[in-house]
Amino acid sequence: MTQSAVKSSPACAETSLSNYFAKDHPDEKKWDDCVHCGMCLESCPTYEITGQEQHSPRGRVHLIKSVAEGKIALNESFSDPVFACLDCRACTTACPADVDVGGLIEEARGQIRQAMPLKGWKGNVSKLFLQGLFPHENRLNTVGSLIRFYQKSGLQTTIRKTGMMKVMPKHLVEMEAIMPKVNKPVRKKYKKDQVLKAKGESKAEVAFMTGCIMDVMFSEINEATINVLRRNGNDVTIPEKQTCCGALHVHAGDRETGKKLAKQNIAAFETSEKIILNSAGCGCMMKEYKELFKDDQEWYDRAEAFSAKVEDISKYLYDTGYEIPKSELNTKITYHDACHLAHGQGVREQPRDILLHIPGVEMIHMPNADRCCGSAGIYNITNPEMAGEVLESKMANVPEDVEMISMGNPGCMLQMAMGVKKYGKNQKVVHTVQLLDWAYQKEDQEAKQ
Amino acid sequence: MKGKQIQSKDKHIHQLAAIVANTRSILYKKEDLLAYDCDGFTIHKHLPKAVVFPKNTKEVAELVRYCCQNELPFLARGAGTGLSGGAIPLNGEVIISLVKMKNLISVDLENRRAVVEPGFVNLKLTNSISDKGYYYAPDPSSQSCCTIGGNVAENAGGAHCLKYGVTTNHILGLEVVVPTGEIIEIGDNGIPDAPGYDLLGLITGSEGTLGIVTKITVRILKNPEAKQTVLAYFDDVTDGSQAVSAIISAGIIPAALEMMDKTAIEGVEAAAFPVGHPKNIAAVLLIEVDGISAGIEEQINQILSVCRQFNVRDVKVAQDEQERSRWWANRKTGFGAMGAISPDYLVQDGVIPRSKLPEVLERINQISEHSGLRIANIFHAGDGNLHPLILFDAKIPGETEKALEAGSACLQACAEVGGTITGEHGVGIEKREEMRFVFNEEEIAAQTTIRSVFNPVNLLNAGKLFPSPGKCVEIKMEKKAAIL
Repeated sequence: MTQSAVKSSPACAETSLSNYFAKDHPDEKKWDDCVHCGMCLESCPTYEITGQEQHSPRGRVHLIKSVAEGKIALNESFSDPVFACLDCRACTTACPADVDVGGLIEEARGQIRQAMPLKGWKGNVSKLFLQGLFPHENRLNTVGSLIRFYQKSGLQTTIRKTGMMKVMPKHLVEMEAIMPKVNKPVRKKYKKDQVLKAKGESKAEVAFMTGCIMDVMFSEINEATINVLRRNGNDVTIPEKQTCCGALHVHAGDRETGKKLAKQNIAAFETSEKIILNSAGCGCMMKEYKELFKDDQEWYDRAEAFSAKVEDISKYLYDTGYEIPKSELNTKITYHDACHLAHGQGVREQPRDILLHIPGVEMIHMPNADRCCGSAGIYNITNPEMAGEVLESKMANVPEDVEMISMGNPGCMLQMAMGVKKYGKNQKVVHTVQLLDWAYQKEDQEAKQ
Repeated sequence: MKGKQIQSKDKHIHQLAAIVANTRSILYKKEDLLAYDCDGFTIHKHLPKAVVFPKNTKEVAELVRYCCQNELPFLARGAGTGLSGGAIPLNGEVIISLVKMKNLISVDLENRRAVVEPGFVNLKLTNSISDKGYYYAPDPSSQSCCTIGGNVAENAGGAHCLKYGVTTNHILGLEVVVPTGEIIEIGDNGIPDAPGYDLLGLITGSEGTLGIVTKITVRILKNPEAKQTVLAYFDDVTDGSQAVSAIISAGIIPAALEMMDKTAIEGVEAAAFPVGHPKNIAAVLLIEVDGISAGIEEQINQILSVCRQFNVRDVKVAQDEQERSRWWANRKTGFGAMGAISPDYLVQDGVIPRSKLPEVLERINQISEHSGLRIANIFHAGDGNLHPLILFDAKIPGETEKALEAGSACLQACAEVGGTITGEHGVGIEKREEMRFVFNEEEIAAQTTIRSVFNPVNLLNAGKLFPSPGKCVEIKMEKKAAIL
């Protein structure tokens, strides 16, 4: 063993050489768990596509650590692999030592955005969406109304005919094509109701987190969630002060806005016993709020208490029991694991169990069901090329003869719908809770007849 | 994902990029290269000059020729999960990464063989043929991500090698780019035991010093008709070790016979795949038998009775495939799991005669006490292949050196009882000096002479496998590396 070689190892703490900002930097304890074994490699969609280790979980962890050791700077070449990460958390599932790669990535992004704020077109777009839109219910509703108008007035048809789409970037055109039919948000609809009472005897009271995009783009799923909760003995409240969960902000490195939103939600749900949501991305973020308050003990504790109450709808129904529908749906479906449900929250069996118990539903196994679809929040907008490749391999795994693809996250639903359209398939993309609600509705109709 | 144009003043970078014909198939910026400064062995780190990603044998050959003509040191890399540092660019090598050559070229069930490219991941082979009732036997713990090319270089083993043999027993043919850039084929159409010297055996396990493997014909096996798996807990390590010997003496050849000691159990139970091993036991054995259904039950009963003879506290048989996979996931992620109880670890790979297990474990215990570092033991007990995992914290000054010393002492203990210094991880950088425990100067010189036949200029993966350089070229390179 040559002396020189031993010396080149990181034999002493070099934190003083760190190129990170002093506050809220990536957490040393997180990378300390990584022994560079490489068990994460094959789980990573970006490594699968590029074959390059700086685009692998252990490579990214290595780079994040290298900035702390002063070996490299917070610059563009560091930013590239850190922002190319889908934050899908598949590596966390694969990792023998439970290294929180996702957490490190989010922290590193916060540092990069401080060092290199987004400028120009990208900066404006990001500001518009992340700060100007998602946190503001009214503005989101306005956009929702505009989309509703766009779809209902025939303008959508006109625009598609005029060829205006031709001047838009390809991936945005693809997205416009699958825009879901937008209905009235449930937060607006039930604004006056203090409590939506359970149908029949009430067993519990739960607070419903509607999600910002979910409520504007997919309000019918929120409607279905409320129906299902009420049918199973839950009084449902929709706390008025709730806001966007902040996941997209934290993913994009805007941790300050993330913190602000987190505080607002923590306060809004302080008196709630249980917080239910149907969006995996929001759920995962809300379960990790404390990560944002490592330097603030008071809020850290409040965040921890808040997170303990957060539950995905499928897990809640599975754990507390629910009525098995009696009517048959007669359909063949497959299930896609949203990353932030399977890898982020460990919820895998519960939604499958719910689907399997709907009479007449035949489940076909999707190979690599817990592989990311490439949506990853707004990744499909910021990294369209990589997202497209990830989507391609996802779609190749969708079984041929199914009629529906069920899942538990709005981002995935948009992305998978885009995949279905792009690859000339015809499956309907649905939320797990929607299927359950349809089965209940069918049962009620049949009872009436 | 940027880098549409090469932004480098180095002409070699431009030339290498031209060979792989895609600016995305080369890395040359420091930030990107950092991810390649080590493999699964993290004590030595060194930046490569560049990383190139060829798509086929022709490009590999051209890259090799270019490196030769321009005297650029180079080496091959797969998934970089090796544990002895074989893929670390000690001399600032050009890394030829084979991960883009990851196709399963053909499967020939009739003749029980498959042809793969070197970047094809080990477990994917089994996954691709399991529905037809076949599998690929060598199963290193990293099989879910390591490449078969890397397995050939290191002659990788695995838990089931006790019965089925290591990689070399499953290689039927190789296409190799030798260090001059020539492409050679060894193994005639996958027919085993060709006359003449056993070149397949020579290349397999040569740790990337004789050539770059670009195509591999492997043997595939029919799934065993039945298998059963047993967990046995012991209050005393010696009892556990003696049970291992006794099982094999009884005439049973288990498919796998694995052991973990107390510290190792603490690690795997604190990590991502716990199975609920009791905390206060001294050793756990994981025993698997497979074969035709008829004899399995009897073998299991025999194993259970041997375990009882050696004061086993508790034994259980896996009730279903799910339980069996949980036990295996717990064992196979054992190394990485050390991250949960220690910031760094160094894994050793000694081999000893089975009967010496209790003695060597006691010596490892002494080494641990002497160094003040905890040592966990996870090992393929059946074939006497020990993996002492030395737990340390590289941030504490002096601990890395202490860990290296302790590791070396473990290997010395193995050599002294008539064993050797590596079973399956290779020598790489890590165990170069320890080669002296088992070979004298002459024996080492004889081996470097063989290397010279293939690799005369020694630009390919220099400084690995053998202790202090036997040739002046190597001395120069080592010095250069030291200065850098």
